[in-house]
Amino acid sequence: MEHRGVTPRPADVPWVRTLEAPDGVWAVFLQARRRDAHVYVGDVHAPDAEMALVLAKENYARRDPCVSLWVVPARAIRATAGDAAEMFEPATDKSYRFGGSYRQQQRVYRGGYHAAPTEDDR
Amino acid sequence: MSTMPAAGDEPELLERFNARITSGDQIEAGEWMPAQYRFEAQRLIQMHANSEIMGALPEREWIPRAPTLARKMALTAKVQDEVGHGMLLYRVAETLGRPREEMYAELVEGRARFHNVFHYPADTWADVAIIQVFVDGAAMQTQGALRSCSYAPYSRVLKRICYEEDFHIQLGLDVWRALAEGTPAQRAMLQDALDRWWTPIIHFFGMPDKVSPHTETMLAWRLKVKSNEELRQQFLRRFVPIIFEYGLVVPDPGLRWVDAEQRYVYTEPDWDELKRVGRNGGPKSAERLALRQSFYRQHAWVREALSRWSTAA
Repeated sequence: MEHRGVTPRPADVPWVRTLEAPDGVWAVFLQARRRDAHVYVGDVHAPDAEMALVLAKENYARRDPCVSLWVVPARAIRATAGDAAEMFEPATDKSYRFGGSYRQQQRVYRGGYHAAPTEDDR
Repeated sequence: MSTMPAAGDEPELLERFNARITSGDQIEAGEWMPAQYRFEAQRLIQMHANSEIMGALPEREWIPRAPTLARKMALTAKVQDEVGHGMLLYRVAETLGRPREEMYAELVEGRARFHNVFHYPADTWADVAIIQVFVDGAAMQTQGALRSCSYAPYSRVLKRICYEEDFHIQLGLDVWRALAEGTPAQRAMLQDALDRWWTPIIHFFGMPDKVSPHTETMLAWRLKVKSNEELRQQFLRRFVPIIFEYGLVVPDPGLRWVDAEQRYVYTEPDWDELKRVGRNGGPKSAERLALRQSFYRQHAWVREALSRWSTAA
């Protein structure tokens, strides 16, 4: 599907939804240590981004480690619909995406000539 | 499940919802839920939010009178935690469909309920210590159990709240220790506070549950995880030994451990008092609500300034 920039998807795309939130609700993302990912920790009510960051610091960073905060208007977040969760279920065999599926070479190279050749080696 | 589909609840959706909860799944904000579930969850979380905000008041009274700077800083941190919990919880309650302003107005105008223990006075510094250990300790039993409730946003917030409540209990026990190791007057003050808080704490968990369709629904939907009596017993098992450790006397002469039943027997408290207090008829209800109202008025300019912040620059 084509996806241009941040243009909201039309409401009739069944697997895309907007998070319902009143005006002035900001989602807060906290990074506990440098180079960790920012993780969603909760919301604050604020009239603008600066105040949202001040309140986020007071509410989510007063005790445990934090090196960086992000705030995002909650309404600006687009999410996959809950009902669409099955689209993340592997529909087919995904073993070809995992390193563990490619052990034959180990048998060949580490096992030396003792390893019995298999179908894949021919 | 004993829930009857209400008007507007499509039977198929209700069936799928119930099946999800039975299987241990949790519901996220914005997902379909039956009207009755929304109502019960909203009421539960709003009451919890109210209690956090009102619970800050008795302890706040002691910030200016804390005996040392270290105690003053710790108590300030605790009160800030409680107000922060209120903020987190009102936001979660809001995801169930009521604006925060509306809920707050209901509290300030005395139309909403908050927990029984916050309707009582904190007369001495020892009361603060008893509140920190007993009220937070009691809340921890209820909230700890609810971490596995079915509404995911509430469950997430409760994890954070319980983590902070643990600090409050440890802080309170440190004040207990200081008083218990102190002068005879200090020990007497601690015992006196314990005597006065015993009944409200036994009340805290509510009356022993009657088997009712309502309780069954709440349990089936995991908006209630353990019965009132289970939680009270859990509290007694953890905290009665602590009372003895600190050389204090349990105020209830009828309290005893029954080994065969693995439970404490206690003297039945006056349950009418709990009902009276719950309807804002406690010794401090009117005063605390008046205080909350006056803060609400006094701080109007702060809310005003915040809401115009973005346009002022």
